[in-house]
Amino acid sequence: MGKYAMVDKDTCIACGACADTAPDIFEYDDEGLSQVLLDDNQGIAEISDDLEDDLLDAEEGCPTESIKVSDQPFKTAVETY
Amino acid sequence: MPASHEDVYDITIIGGGPTGLFTAFYAGLREMKVKIIDALPELGGQLSALYPEKYIYDVAGFPKVKAQDLVDQLIEQANYFNPTICLNEMVETLIRTNDDMIKMTTNKGSHLSKTVILTSGNGAFSPRKLKLDNIEQYEGKNLHYFIQDMEHFRQKNVLIFGGGDSAVDWSLMLEPIANKVTLVHRRDKFRAHEHSVKQLFESTVDVKTPFVPASFTGDEDGIQEFVLQHSKNEAHKEFIHVDEVIVNYGFISSLGPMLHWDLEIDKNSIVVNSKMETNIPGVYAAGDICMYDGKVKLIATGFGEAPIAVNHAKSFIDPKAKVQPLHSTSIFS
Repeated sequence: MGKYAMVDKDTCIACGACADTAPDIFEYDDEGLSQVLLDDNQGIAEISDDLEDDLLDAEEGCPTESIKVSDQPFKTAVETY
Repeated sequence: MPASHEDVYDITIIGGGPTGLFTAFYAGLREMKVKIIDALPELGGQLSALYPEKYIYDVAGFPKVKAQDLVDQLIEQANYFNPTICLNEMVETLIRTNDDMIKMTTNKGSHLSKTVILTSGNGAFSPRKLKLDNIEQYEGKNLHYFIQDMEHFRQKNVLIFGGGDSAVDWSLMLEPIANKVTLVHRRDKFRAHEHSVKQLFESTVDVKTPFVPASFTGDEDGIQEFVLQHSKNEAHKEFIHVDEVIVNYGFISSLGPMLHWDLEIDKNSIVVNSKMETNIPGVYAAGDICMYDGKVKLIATGFGEAPIAVNHAKSFIDPKAKVQPLHSTSIFS
């Protein structure tokens, strides 16, 4: 099953660990904070299975636990509240 | 160095990253009695904990500098005035006493200071722990998140968890000392330097991938055996007899106890005025932890905020002291 990811920019410290670990998923925004490059950090683009290990590495390696990973797209998850 | 309860310091710096180290130097320059407290066993903060090998390009005077090299230079500079350095100490409480002192308690004891400068960046770093029930009782026994003395592992069966540089480097360092080193990582690919990974596979280190820790058995003295589970096949298990277990899962930072010190906080940062003063008299903040209108979080700005905080702290203790200091060129000559 595909995964979806978002970076919480309120807690991201721009250390760059995730973009080092998973350069196909994460990039830096204009402020140097990290974001998901696939969908401008909206959490709606499915991350392909071959990148899942990279994603988990990045999630585990984030020093502020700012990387949010879900089995569902984040936009849908928010709307169901 | 163990902290004496009697000693009162002029300035206590909480956080030994780049801003904290430069603050320590600068406070020494202003002839203050200085102490640095940091939660990790080493100075350097984020630079040493997260990206020691990365180059930094925006520190004045350095066209480029490796993060750890910058830390080493800052430590040398800070040590010019021999500050007291307390490592492995997490400050838990901070209060202003009735006699105008600031009292801090840590996991190891208490500290008294006339002023405090908070340079804790994004909060205290702590190692990311193994998530297994009841494993924490073995910290301080044979479960290690830091390595202080390699000799401790001589002729032992050592199990190491992790997939980054720390896990790979420690595996290689301990290989000639230990009886056997087993390295366990959740996936086949390591995040460490290519060269180190090549060395790893040429070494006698038993590399178990893709495996994760599933459970363990132990008695009151320590963990005796680990059960590893294949990442993709739950039924595939391996049993490893262990003397010592090392976990290198990186670090997590959090403001933690600082949120309960009655400081004015805005978005995980401490609000300061143009003197770098917080809302608590005698308590200042500098570097990434502080927030004011127009704040930019960079090492370069932290280096500028440090002398502002120190010079105002100096005049807070001694109102006759000038805020604007002499130039260092004339102090040392």
